Amino acid sequence: MNLNPFWSMSTNTGRKRSDGEEQSGEQQQQQQQRASPARPSFGKKQLPSIPKNAVPVTKPASPAATAQLANGTHASYGPFYLEYSLLAEFTLVIKQKLPGIYVQPSYKSALMWFGVIFIRHGLYQDGVFKFTVYIPDNYPDGECPRVVFDIPVFHPLVDPVSGELDVRRAFTKWRRNHNHIWQVLMYARTVFYKINTMEPLNPEAAVLYDKDVQLFKSKVVDSVKLCNSHLFDQPKMDDPYAISFSSWNPAIHDEAKERMFTHKRRPEDHQKGLQVSGLSWVKPGSTQPFSKDDNPPQS
Amino acid sequence: MASMVANGNRDGRQGEALVLKGVDPETCMIVFKNHWAQVVKILEKHDPLRSNTSSNMAALGVIGLSSGGPMRFGGPIPGDEASAVQNYVEHMLFLLMEEDAGQAGAMGPILEFVVMENVMERLFLWSLRRQFTDDMKLEQLKMYEMIVGQARQPLLHHKPVLRPLMMLLSSCSGTAGPEVEAELVSLLNQLCCVLAKDQSVLELFFHTSEDQGAANFLIFSLLIPFIHREGLVGQQARDALLLIMSLSAENQRVAQHIAENTYFCPVLATGLSGLYSSLPTKLEVPGEEWHCLHREDWLQMPTLVQFLNSLEFCNAVIQVAHPSIRDQLVSYIYNGFLVPVLAPALHKLTLEEVMTTTAYLDLFVRSVSEPILLQTFLSFILLHRHENVHILDTLVSRINTPFQLGTVSLALFQTLIGLYCEDVMLQLILRYLIPCNHMMLSQRRVVKERDFYSVSAAKILALTPSCCSPEHSPPPLRQLDSILWSKGTDNSPNTGTMETEESFLEEDGSGYSCVIGSEIYLDVNYLHYLYNARLGISSCTRACQVWSAPYDGEDPPPEEGRQAQTTTDPAPTNQLELEWDDSYDAGPVVSPEAATAESSRPPQPPAAEPPKHIQEMRRTAIMLVKGSYIEESDFQDDVMVYDLVAKKDARDTVNSSEVIKGSKEVKAHVEDHNSNLQSPLATEVGDDLMDQYEELIRTLGSDEAGTGGSSPVKTVDKEFRNPVVTPMEEDEVDFSSFSVDTPELEKQHLSLFGTKLRSGSTKSHSVPFTGPFVSVLLSRLENMLDNSLHVNLLLTGILAQLAAYPQPLLQSFLLNTNMVFQPSVRSLYQVLASLKNQIEQQASTKKDFPELITSAQHCLLARESSLKGQDSRECSPPEAGRMMKSSPPPQPKTISLARTEVFATVLFTEFLKELAAIAQEHSILSHVPMEE
Repeated sequence: MNLNPFWSMSTNTGRKRSDGEEQSGEQQQQQQQRASPARPSFGKKQLPSIPKNAVPVTKPASPAATAQLANGTHASYGPFYLEYSLLAEFTLVIKQKLPGIYVQPSYKSALMWFGVIFIRHGLYQDGVFKFTVYIPDNYPDGECPRVVFDIPVFHPLVDPVSGELDVRRAFTKWRRNHNHIWQVLMYARTVFYKINTMEPLNPEAAVLYDKDVQLFKSKVVDSVKLCNSHLFDQPKMDDPYAISFSSWNPAIHDEAKERMFTHKRRPEDHQKGLQVSGLSWVKPGSTQPFSKDDNPPQS
Repeated sequence: MASMVANGNRDGRQGEALVLKGVDPETCMIVFKNHWAQVVKILEKHDPLRSNTSSNMAALGVIGLSSGGPMRFGGPIPGDEASAVQNYVEHMLFLLMEEDAGQAGAMGPILEFVVMENVMERLFLWSLRRQFTDDMKLEQLKMYEMIVGQARQPLLHHKPVLRPLMMLLSSCSGTAGPEVEAELVSLLNQLCCVLAKDQSVLELFFHTSEDQGAANFLIFSLLIPFIHREGLVGQQARDALLLIMSLSAENQRVAQHIAENTYFCPVLATGLSGLYSSLPTKLEVPGEEWHCLHREDWLQMPTLVQFLNSLEFCNAVIQVAHPSIRDQLVSYIYNGFLVPVLAPALHKLTLEEVMTTTAYLDLFVRSVSEPILLQTFLSFILLHRHENVHILDTLVSRINTPFQLGTVSLALFQTLIGLYCEDVMLQLILRYLIPCNHMMLSQRRVVKERDFYSVSAAKILALTPSCCSPEHSPPPLRQLDSILWSKGTDNSPNTGTMETEESFLEEDGSGYSCVIGSEIYLDVNYLHYLYNARLGISSCTRACQVWSAPYDGEDPPPEEGRQAQTTTDPAPTNQLELEWDDSYDAGPVVSPEAATAESSRPPQPPAAEPPKHIQEMRRTAIMLVKGSYIEESDFQDDVMVYDLVAKKDARDTVNSSEVIKGSKEVKAHVEDHNSNLQSPLATEVGDDLMDQYEELIRTLGSDEAGTGGSSPVKTVDKEFRNPVVTPMEEDEVDFSSFSVDTPELEKQHLSLFGTKLRSGSTKSHSVPFTGPFVSVLLSRLENMLDNSLHVNLLLTGILAQLAAYPQPLLQSFLLNTNMVFQPSVRSLYQVLASLKNQIEQQASTKKDFPELITSAQHCLLARESSLKGQDSRECSPPEAGRMMKSSPPPQPKTISLARTEVFATVLFTEFLKELAAIAQEHSILSHVPMEE
């Protein structure tokens, strides 16, 4: 399902969010929109056309939806509700400003988000791990979202084969309104700073951590190296919005970097410089109309 | 003769210029001097004093002028001599114009000669000596216009040039023919252009004036009489004045002079009053659906065009002038136009007049762009009291008139809401929401919560009447279309074209829709609503960045808000004048403060006889309720009467409980404004009248009880009036986290409140009330099925506009279907739900309803596409699925617009989508920092 006009906004904010954060050495994160589909500038009544190759991932009949299928209205609008729920989640993620974590919903489905996490200190320092978040299609009434690392990191809670992080232990029951995707991302970050070896998905890592920390550490270093060496690989998923890295290219990145730093100052300029159409003569702290001091005398 | 000079000069100029090119300056000088010598000979021959001293002459000139008569010395001047002078002067002026400035800005030799010999002044006196007719003035004016406009060196810096010019100007200031006036204004305009470019001349203009004894800024004063003139002259004068205005912004002296020594501001403001008085007091309204003055309407009314020109000029002056002038002008407009002219006009005697004034006011507000001027208009509307009633209250109450006045008033409020003005929104709605007592105490924390899962949108859309369900309408009305995407085989990421099965994807692409998976239809029409909602919310959010507070239930704090509500209306000086406002109030309206004060005081003796105007008012109201109301000149009692008229009008379709509810609204309304202004006397009067009123209502109610049909609505109504938390909502709201004592508090509050309302004996200030505006809007919306299409378009448009505001207080009130309000508070959702039930009932009783719906949909689609072709520079805000503007639509073939319930049903369905889309966009937009 792709409602492009809405996604265009979210990807932009995603990009903005990732701006101005640390740029580690020669490795530069670049979120490339490969062959990003052209967005027609559409007028009032025009919508962007839907690309042929976009495969809808959403399956129509989630349990919740079927329950309400009797109501025809819901059937017609159900996908909109899901789409907007996920968008709302995404805006929440942005608002949280999770340190070192970047996500971006995929082009093809709102239920799949691409992400990358930068570990800045601790055992996994300098690790850059790409991952994918899979959100159940009966969201928010299903299980908790899954987090799968592109390369299985050596970690007690990461499945050494599939790369899946054990998220469920933190969210035994996914409760709408209480649980949000940003919490999952937060959790994904925490596991690298606070190692838990209970009921591990990777028993080897768990045992090593408890019995031989030195060996564990060196294995982690190897794992981090391995992950980082694959950083510039093509994204696993063929999706225009997949996160891909490329080495620093001044022709492309200098300008982008420049824009990031100027962007930071913008909110204030924005308020003063641009003509805003709204009006207010209410003095801050007052609820009286025309209470500002600089009002010209009226009588 | 005059034209000879001008024409001769103009015609000959090019030739001369060519000739002069290459001629050395010395030769020119010699020629000039020779000509002058010839002229002087003639001049002296006719000089009665035979004197050469120019100062004497100047003195004489002035004396002569002031005595007013034409000046003649020594008999008439022979024609041949006059024309000889004429010819010489022409040549001399050419030479002067063509002369270049000397080294380092020094005067050229000719100019120097002109200055030394006082040539210009002597020429002016010469023309005075002959008959100083209009022709002569014209001649002189044109002469100056030419040399000022075309000279290559600055001439006005030199007093001997400037002074005769000023004398000429002042001699033209009196009565003169239109030709002279036109030329005068044209010259003044030119002088102002020179001033704007070169401010150093400014000092000289002042000084020269002082020489004449009047410490004024002559060229400015001369322009004032032309401010409101129509046509080119007026335009030129206003342009010239604007140049001076922008000069004043930088030059304190000019500003001070204009503000303190001229009548500029009063003339400008009272001129508006004058022009207003010549506007038609009743408009020829093109049709029932007409609701505001569009450009094509007012372009055909010359008086209105003239008024708008002057208003636009005020706007421009305020934009560029010095703050002292600006403030003065604004104050004169307020005190010289709005209060003495517009306020009474808004309270005229007949509906048509009042309607017309309202339409004018709407147009004026739309025409004004400068914030300070807009503020003046707005503070007039929001704060001014006319005969002790706020203009705003009067205007709001008029929304409820069933007549065209109601529609026009709606349009005015649409304009006001579209301004994104905090002060407007504060007075209209927000101040009633700030105290948060319209919701249960526990709900306060919900205000800021956002609807993550589109629950509100789903609940709103679930109100879609079964007869209008997207699946039920056949294409092309069902704007769903099945489009199958080819799945994944084609990997080229270029923008694919859609494969459509249906054929109607023509016009503008609005027919797009898609199927996701294989079976689910998306209402693609809804995408447009989402898109429009997004635009609406983001522009509104951006605009509201200048607001002083977020209005999120915490800032401003609820407690302060309550205070504000009571202090908004300062106590009037004369309490009696307000009393009619309470005529329908059931009993003493006691504010907490007043209550304590009263208990310590002995009861006052009741008044013997109510004041006369109260009696009048009562009579009208009684007649009205009895159904014998005849339109007469009782419209000063707007607030009450309009509401009652509306209720009476709606009586046939709405059950009697509605009427009572309406009266409660009025009470609440009234109470809100007067809760702290009660006098015991008013209470007595109110009781008396209220008894009679309730009596009438009772009879009315029993009458209707027999007619049946309305009772199902009644029960339905009741159902929605008491919102219950359905199981579905339970997991949205975390009840477990409510504080333990909260429910108790609520219960107390509830029961207290309940008795209060029922007995009508005591009311406290804290009775939840969301304000007269919301209340009136909702009660009109409740009558949607009986409203005409255009009223419904306006109504739903205003509500959608309100819903797009990002302030959580407003959003939660209008769109959050999970919010639990106080039982007495009517929410938009309740009204919508009751409408749905009315519609379902209609649909079940009328067999042909589905067919009618289809025809109405066709008709509206046709109307939309016909309007799409039309000019879109409308004043109306972007409208989503809204299909109508001011012009009369092509008459539908199959269904009459009189079937309001059918059109309302279609519109209702669209409105639900519009609201749901806004709710969804809010859930993802309002909380994200805006980009760009």
